[in-house]
Amino acid sequence: MTSPAVSITSLTHSWPGSDPVLDIRQFHVGSGESVFLVGPSGSGKSTLLGLIAGVTPVQSGQVDVLGEAMLPKKPQKRDALRASRLGVIFQMFNLVPYLNAVENTLLPLQFSADRRKRLQDSGVDGPDEARRLLRELGLGDASLGKRATDLSVGQQQRVAAARALIGGPGLVIADEPTSALDHSARDAFIALLMAECEARGAALLFVSHDETLARHFDRKVDLREINVAGVAA
Amino acid sequence: MTPALLSLAWKSLGNRAVSVTLTVATIALSVMLFLSVERVRAGVSDGFNSTISETDLIVGARSGAINLLLYSVFHLGDPTANISWDSYELIDTAPNVSWTVPISLGDSHRGFRVVGTTTGFFDHYKYGRSRALDMRDGRPFTGLHQAVIGAEVARQLDYDLGDEILLAHGIGRVSFSEHSDHDFEIVGVLAPTGTPIDRSVLVSLESIEAIHVGWEAGAAPRRGADAGLPDDLTPDSVTAVLVGLDSPIRVLALQRQINTYEGEALSAVLPGVALSQLWRVVGVAERAFVAVSILVIVVGLCGILTALSAGLNERRREMAVLRAVGARSGDVFFLLIIEAMTIALLGAMVGVLIATGGFAILSPLIAARYGFDLPVMPGWTDLAVVAILTPTGAAFGAWPAWRALRNALVDGLSIRI
Repeated sequence: MTSPAVSITSLTHSWPGSDPVLDIRQFHVGSGESVFLVGPSGSGKSTLLGLIAGVTPVQSGQVDVLGEAMLPKKPQKRDALRASRLGVIFQMFNLVPYLNAVENTLLPLQFSADRRKRLQDSGVDGPDEARRLLRELGLGDASLGKRATDLSVGQQQRVAAARALIGGPGLVIADEPTSALDHSARDAFIALLMAECEARGAALLFVSHDETLARHFDRKVDLREINVAGVAA
Repeated sequence: MTPALLSLAWKSLGNRAVSVTLTVATIALSVMLFLSVERVRAGVSDGFNSTISETDLIVGARSGAINLLLYSVFHLGDPTANISWDSYELIDTAPNVSWTVPISLGDSHRGFRVVGTTTGFFDHYKYGRSRALDMRDGRPFTGLHQAVIGAEVARQLDYDLGDEILLAHGIGRVSFSEHSDHDFEIVGVLAPTGTPIDRSVLVSLESIEAIHVGWEAGAAPRRGADAGLPDDLTPDSVTAVLVGLDSPIRVLALQRQINTYEGEALSAVLPGVALSQLWRVVGVAERAFVAVSILVIVVGLCGILTALSAGLNERRREMAVLRAVGARSGDVFFLLIIEAMTIALLGAMVGVLIATGGFAILSPLIAARYGFDLPVMPGWTDLAVVAILTPTGAAFGAWPAWRALRNALVDGLSIRI
């Protein structure tokens, strides 16, 4: 049986000097599943994503990602897992400003030998794969060599998606990736992202405060329902 | 990870080309200043310590080594006493003595010292690495009333071959008692040496003797008193003697012999030893210059702090993105360290290039005018500057790098604007 993409048990987290922001008994994203996580700003979404991505160390509780425990004392291991098997898309400013579209897409390969190896094993060259992904996501050839700062916001988000997908990650985390896009671009982007994740068998954890997007996904989870932090006992 | 970070650092620097270029320029200029001071210092020190070479002993009336060196070689101050001609002849004929050059000081021409000597001076006086005096124009003096002048005398007073000059008694710039009856003809002009010879007027011992005939009372002779010159113009005494030996092994023995000579109170000094003693006194100034130019480099390096710190807040997003694609927090730290190192390395190398280029142009001009040889090609010092400055630059990047690391840990994946 394949391990779940995300499995969280009894997770609590508080930032220094403040009350707990997260207290989650159970949270689960199945392998290859697409989950829509909704919650207003300030509900601890970003903190949760930081914990899942292994950027923030877990204080108490258990977080497993793609079958591996995100251990608080093993930052290198968490970084390696993120580099190798996660893809992350932000709301905006996803790209390193001094790199072009293809170079930005190739970034995860530079930080992970595993990711490079997976590409090699499937007989694909990194830059070729980057260009292919970018074209597939609708970026014209003229834009491939453009610096990040010369791309439109919509194009930047597509580059971010390509970067998250390159080298076949097991889980893509998207933090409000469409909030900077207009309505029609938003639906097109989500459809494209879903299709790409599905084609690669990657799970998708999509976070947003906009509930109208929920219909695109396998399952919707409201953070307010699973997070009991701040709720009077 | 390192090649990835290197290329990221390089592109990141390229993205901030203007501020990076300015910082590199600041460091390059400070490095150039340091290297210039260092090269001039080395050149001056070399030049000073070889003001006189291949002379084994300098002999004068009993006095300290530095004092003897100052008046006989640098023409500064006055001799305490003279050496009798008898003593000179005794030294000249001593066993193992290969050559001697007597020197007689005491007169001047418009502020420049007149050196009475023999033509042996042109053969035996060496400076630098055994460089002989080079006659730029004309020839050595052969008789009375002929003078050879140093390069600086010729330049400042605009003298040329065939010009006639008057010698004055005493050494002041303004002369009250000129030997007005005794015109000297310039028969030779020396090439620059970077030594006190450049500021000297060389005449024969006999000429010195001749112009002083009738001055025995200590004042100018009455007009017409020098109707005839004596046949023998051998002086009674000289100021100092330069001595060369057949074999350097004999130097100390002869030195002791002269120092303990009972007929007259004499001192013999080793020029090399006396020069380095003197340099220890004069050299304090050069160390001050070096200290100042090192401080200038430190100021230049502070530019790295400014350049990296200024962009830090705008780069928080960039760092969060790098973290998201798998960069470790240490990678964020090293990215900035590499940037700092690159700036320092570029600055140091550009500085060395400018210094080398500058000295390639200036060195021949300085050598022609002042007789100094300044090194042109980069040497160990330049290599050391590059080798020391690069890690120092990295150290200066440590503080902004540490701040970036702390930001990255606090920010996590959430991007602050």
